Amino acid sequence: MRHILTIAADEWRFWIRSRLALAGLLVMAVLLVVTSFVTAARVSHERDVRLEHQQAAEERFLAQPDRHPHRMVHYGHYVHRIPGPLAILDSGVDRVTGQSIFLEGHRQNSAMFAEARGGASLGRLADLTPALVYQLFAPLLLIVLGHSLIVRERESATLAPLLAQGLSPGVLIAGKAAALGSVILLMLLPICGLSAFAAAQGEALLSGLVVTGTYALYLGLWGAVALLVSALVNQRGMALGILFAVWLLAAIIMPRAAVNIAGMVEPVPGKIETDLALAIDMRDVGDGHDAGASAYDTLRANLLSEHNAERIEDLPVNFRGMVALYSEERLTRLLNEYAEAQMAREQAQAQVIGSFGWASPLIAASSASRILSGTDLGTHHRFLREAETIRYEFVQGLNRAHAHDLSYTDDINRNRDVEAFDRARISAGNWQVLDRFRFHPAPAGERLLQATPFLVMLALWFAGLVAALAYAAGRLRP
Amino acid sequence: MNFKTSFLREAWFLSKDRAAMIWLSLALLISAFSVVTGIAEVRAQRQTIERLLEADRADREASLADQSDWGGAAYYAFHLTYDPPSELAFAALGQRDVASWKHRVRMLALEGQIHEADPQHPDVALIGRVDFAFVAAFLAPLFVILMLYDLRAAERTAGRYELLSATARRDAAPWRMRAGVRIACLAACLLIPFLIGAVLEQASGMAIAGAGLAVLLHLAFWGLLTSFVGRLAMPSATILTAMAGAWLLLAVLVPASGRVLVERAIPVPAGADIMMVQRESVNDGWDRPREATMKAFLERHPEWSAYSQIEQGFEWKWYYAFQQVGDQTAEDLSRDYDEGRHQRDRAASLISWLAPPALMERTLQSLAGTDVAATLAYEQSVRNFHAELRAFYYPRLFREEDYSLDAVRGLPAFEGKHGANESAAADL
Repeated sequence: MRHILTIAADEWRFWIRSRLALAGLLVMAVLLVVTSFVTAARVSHERDVRLEHQQAAEERFLAQPDRHPHRMVHYGHYVHRIPGPLAILDSGVDRVTGQSIFLEGHRQNSAMFAEARGGASLGRLADLTPALVYQLFAPLLLIVLGHSLIVRERESATLAPLLAQGLSPGVLIAGKAAALGSVILLMLLPICGLSAFAAAQGEALLSGLVVTGTYALYLGLWGAVALLVSALVNQRGMALGILFAVWLLAAIIMPRAAVNIAGMVEPVPGKIETDLALAIDMRDVGDGHDAGASAYDTLRANLLSEHNAERIEDLPVNFRGMVALYSEERLTRLLNEYAEAQMAREQAQAQVIGSFGWASPLIAASSASRILSGTDLGTHHRFLREAETIRYEFVQGLNRAHAHDLSYTDDINRNRDVEAFDRARISAGNWQVLDRFRFHPAPAGERLLQATPFLVMLALWFAGLVAALAYAAGRLRP
Repeated sequence: MNFKTSFLREAWFLSKDRAAMIWLSLALLISAFSVVTGIAEVRAQRQTIERLLEADRADREASLADQSDWGGAAYYAFHLTYDPPSELAFAALGQRDVASWKHRVRMLALEGQIHEADPQHPDVALIGRVDFAFVAAFLAPLFVILMLYDLRAAERTAGRYELLSATARRDAAPWRMRAGVRIACLAACLLIPFLIGAVLEQASGMAIAGAGLAVLLHLAFWGLLTSFVGRLAMPSATILTAMAGAWLLLAVLVPASGRVLVERAIPVPAGADIMMVQRESVNDGWDRPREATMKAFLERHPEWSAYSQIEQGFEWKWYYAFQQVGDQTAEDLSRDYDEGRHQRDRAASLISWLAPPALMERTLQSLAGTDVAATLAYEQSVRNFHAELRAFYYPRLFREEDYSLDAVRGLPAFEGKHGANESAAADL
């Protein structure tokens, strides 16, 4: 143990004397701290703004005066996806997916206003978050510090005397690993700060701990790669070149190539395309605005016989409201079928990308990080599903009021003149059918479960590298 | 020693350098991969447009056949608008991955429709794909660094450095030629797949030449920078670290801080506000006195004042008038949103001169028509088309003409961005 600490301390002395290593450490520290503050400020601001919009939307809906219930169905409502507290670490797909949805009857609108659309276009690495710094650039620092760990001793011919003195190669490598490990621990300080901040804002401690652990594992993995190459190679320049190439392939090229490949293997048709296919099916369901359409013949016959009535005017309920209820229900079933199929296709594409985690640990780490931070595709889908639930509930609530609280005669005569138009309305108390909506990512436990496959990938990567390192230690030659 | 023999000699040396050959093949492979997948993507996008046009026409015809008046026709007939990928789009997908390049619009208030997103897969937009622009802007500098960082040090290690320097006519001559040959080979590996792709896609000669020149200049910049750092006679590991730092600075830090600064300095209205204002106005339309709506409408369309009496509880011309008034109310916010995006883009363009990789990417995107300006031009073409729709329907709605399937054949068709530009030019 004493030897390990001595070796680690010696390595630190070397780094501090080397201006390059010191510069690297400083740059990374500044980068992490600045990015953390900037991202935390930006995301917190976004949270506040969206929360405000959400509250304003609800107040406006409830403040609407008495009117025809179907007017409220089309007046509609807005929901906003409020980023979870850990989005300050990894804002994930938040910027590239629409953050607000307009909810109304008979339609599932898409999420609008992705921030990225209004952003300044300065290359695709310009969108820095702490997560991206950890994923992409922290490995570079580990490479710069770690490439020389063993090969330096070899180049300056100090490795042979060290080993000749009876120092076991395992202890030597453990000492070097301890030095690099201490750098990793230092680098994890900002993420601990961010997790604590998120916890103060209501995030479960578990998510913060696991996401910190994820990055610890991911960075440990890069440290192990650096140490391994350093143990196997004869020249510092060559060690650095190899590690740099590995970084280029694993961190920069592979994730994006995975995107290209996933797009070809599992293509996802756009919304317009599925909407057009949907339009054909929707013709069969019928238009709920046209109560005379043949699609409602059965409904009419059933209602008439149920209430023993001759004409729809004699029904105790407003037939137009019943049609609205009935057609919304059938339509929503169809809409949800399409929406679920679309989400399944998107998940399938995401899964292809995720499976590249076996080839590039960055994909595994970033997938886990997005899931744990509640900013992954699944969270966006959760938002879409919750938005649909609230849409269906308030639309049907209004349709029920339409069926029971508005007389059929007033309803069909509403277009005769301005007075008749004013008569066809119900009390604003009915607008209370709208539920309060505050979006939250899935509970921490659920997110952890979803992230598990990626954590397993990382753990296996790490175990494999440690095994390789142990093997290399056994055959360490000066 | 003439130029040709020394060039050939260096090329021979290069072919014997295993590491360099690995880098060159990797560069060739990635460039080819980006071009092949890029072409596959733009072809898929073109096919999507073909399919959508067909489905859109069928859907519109089915809707129009069911109608009995012009108001219903305008309500139920959607129109596809789209921005087809240019011949060079395969090389730089750019904003096409972020902003929507297709919409379906109808006669209702446009502000409620034009911001509808038909997005790509979020992971695609987030991680970004490997297109040629990414290769040229972000990977090419790394390849240059990997090919050049070890030039002098390798000779030093081999013990030939002093000899080479002493026998050369000028101190830097052998290094200059060696670096030049390496950059030239790298440029060939990167550009050959691009050129083949561009020819297959029938891009214009000017655009290809512009893109090629930009890539060469970008490579030259990184070559000169690496050679300059290399001349400081440091160990190769230090050169590589310093250059990785330079890449980090120019490809990531400058653009990232630029982005934060631009977005702070030039705010754009929140999308939610545009939608809220528009919706409130359209919905108030139902409750507002009919005369108030018509008055606001007639300010823009005085030609219909003789037809603007609303007598029934519901009339289509009143309905569409308050849709238009909704757009008028949101007009200022919406203009601010577009203008803000314009300004942000102009500021980003200035800042990109400090960050060659960002400049490289922006150049290719602008040649390929996939930049922010192209997105805004497309959105403008959607606005123009929507205005044409209104110009078509208003006379029929206000004069209360009879609806017929024959008369509806005159409906304007979306002619794309270029059609829009020409008609804008014709207006001037």
